[in-house]
Amino acid sequence: MDIRDKLNILGDAAKYDVSCSSSGSKRNSPKGGMGCGHSSGICHTWSADGRCISLLKVLFSNACKYDCAYCVNRRSNDIPRATFTPKELINLTLEFYRRNYIEGLFLSSAVIGTPDYTMELLIKVAKELRLIHHFGGYIHLKAIPGASSKLLFEAGLYADRSSVNIEIPSDRQLQYLAPEKNFASIYRPMNFLAERKLEYKADKSKYSPKFLPAGQSTQMIVGASGETDFQILTLSAGFYKQQQMKRVYFSGYVPINADKRLPVITTKPPLLREHRLYQADWLMRFYKFEYNEILDEKNPFLDPELDPKVMWALRHPECFPVDLQTADYEMILRVPGIGVRSAQLIVSGRRFSKIRLQHLKKMGVVLKRAKYFIYDCEVPRELHKLYPEMLRPLLIAGKSMNDQLDLFDTMPTALPAPAPQPKVAPLSVNS
Amino acid sequence: MSLAIHYDSTFDGFLSAVFEIYRQHLDVSGFVAERSYETECEAATDLFAQPFHIETSEESARRLRRAIVNAASKDVLGLLETCFRSEDTNIEMNILAYLRKLFAGLDPNYGRNPSSLEMIPLITIARSVRREMDNMLGMVRFNKAPDGMYIAEIEPKYDILEMIIGHFRGRYPNGTWAIIDVKRGFGVYYENYRSHFVTVPDSSYLSAHAPPDEFTRMWKSYYDTMAIKERINPRLLRRCLPVRYWKHLPERSLPDSSLARIGAVPSQQLPSTVAKSIAFASLRLNVQR
Ligand code: SF4
Repeated sequence: MDIRDKLNILGDAAKYDVSCSSSGSKRNSPKGGMGCGHSSGICHTWSADGRCISLLKVLFSNACKYDCAYCVNRRSNDIPRATFTPKELINLTLEFYRRNYIEGLFLSSAVIGTPDYTMELLIKVAKELRLIHHFGGYIHLKAIPGASSKLLFEAGLYADRSSVNIEIPSDRQLQYLAPEKNFASIYRPMNFLAERKLEYKADKSKYSPKFLPAGQSTQMIVGASGETDFQILTLSAGFYKQQQMKRVYFSGYVPINADKRLPVITTKPPLLREHRLYQADWLMRFYKFEYNEILDEKNPFLDPELDPKVMWALRHPECFPVDLQTADYEMILRVPGIGVRSAQLIVSGRRFSKIRLQHLKKMGVVLKRAKYFIYDCEVPRELHKLYPEMLRPLLIAGKSMNDQLDLFDTMPTALPAPAPQPKVAPLSVNS
Repeated sequence: MSLAIHYDSTFDGFLSAVFEIYRQHLDVSGFVAERSYETECEAATDLFAQPFHIETSEESARRLRRAIVNAASKDVLGLLETCFRSEDTNIEMNILAYLRKLFAGLDPNYGRNPSSLEMIPLITIARSVRREMDNMLGMVRFNKAPDGMYIAEIEPKYDILEMIIGHFRGRYPNGTWAIIDVKRGFGVYYENYRSHFVTVPDSSYLSAHAPPDEFTRMWKSYYDTMAIKERINPRLLRRCLPVRYWKHLPERSLPDSSLARIGAVPSQQLPSTVAKSIAFASLRLNVQR
């Protein structure tokens, strides 16, 4: 089998992993080598489904000995199988990098032989790239479930980021769908890596090698096992706090296997739901929201018609209208229609002059939405007296045709993003 | 009688013009940058304005830079220069409007206020320029020439080539490579740890010198397999990756990989040795500094 066929099979098998981010590592090119780390990551292209491609994302092998229900590579599937040699993969990475197609390598694998054997192969690739080829680009290594701590640790010395995908947001469902896995087997490597990273951070000495400078990430499949949005957000908030995750990805379930334990094969991927979850995630990471402010036991699902920031504002009429001349930055951030950049401009500009509607317009604030929530002498007072029930249809109707269509875009439209774009999302698989 | 100021299209040229506008109390209705290429939207020239040419003077530009730093800050000067790279139709007039307010001195805090009505649009323009610069870091595509040199052609909307060179020097410190802005007819050529600006009036011989090869095609077919067909979304794709850039991205401009695989696509002609030597000679001759 030539290398091109392998690339097609093993790229195809890896595409359901959402993460493709190359952010979080800053590094100069190693002496005598090439490649640097760009702290906010670089997108190199976008595939036809609108997902960012930043890394060469491939499996080392797709010949899995496990049988997870939701995965293309499970052993019970009749599909072409392939396995790279380390040398093939290294050459491919270096040459793609030289042409500026990619920021680096995202290497995962199905379990071949034993988890340790698989992990050793992944480490060998990373180690040779770093030590023999002096490669300074980004390396993301999957932690193979069941691999020994010693190997996980070694991976952390060469990789910028590592990830273990939890995939299914509840332990019972996970064991049901992936008989060889359970929560404990997923959390163990996550915690191990998080602790090692903390140790390295505490030891400030300049010469200690860096350990996973870009941290960890994980992903959850949405819509495969009957979980609520509240369950998903609770889990991800925990990952951000306890395991110090850099990113939690969501992946709307794309039916791959006909399996009685899973939604029928004709199910459409829940793209809108996934989009709303990313917006909620965005609120937690950049807008200082807590997960339990966004949802709770009584309201366990995000609103399909409105983004979660508007949803929060409607549930809290007592917080509005906000006076932009005096309000805290955190409160301005919570006004629907005002993004991070505008909020910063407002706070730094208001020391010099009053912020009026004409300023807001020029900043790109969405006044159609913001007007109901801010205090300004030019905004008619009646707008502030509207009850949430009256406001809701206005805000839904107030969306332009464009916004409606944009529902299926993965970039939050109502929440202007701070600098780096979220490296977009879909579905996942493998180890 | 109001004047249309003609200048050499450089930032120093523009600063010199502003300097003269102040010194001679000129009444200005617009600027005309003398460029060899068309920008996105050419200014509608004011038919009644009288053309008035102003020579670039390093000394005047330097003095104006200092005045801006004193009245506002280094950051503001940097921001103005970034805006200027947008080559926007009205960018000179917008910057001039800001400078007039700044130098009028009516508000001592004006230079520090990021939300004045003249400043907000400039911040927005600078943001788009920086965004294109950031995106371009990922969208430069090198082809490999037979002699081991890597050549890329770009066609950015804004004049950002100079802004991205530092990144590529850091990325490929030991390589030999060139990035050519084909629209503006100039490029950067890097060899032996040094970069040189080169003029490249016609880059077609360079692309012939480094045609797509097996790795380009592997990249293309890898790219095609990455899309999840249940999620195909042309609108989102065009928003993330505007069509204007596709021409120089092999993954979007090469024919479908499924065709390439069965050999339906004729492989590109390899350049003759003659073309190759011309390519080299002209790159090296064009080295300016
Ligand atoms: S998820 Fe991983 S372990 Fe499970 S079948 Fe797929 S490749 Fe194998």
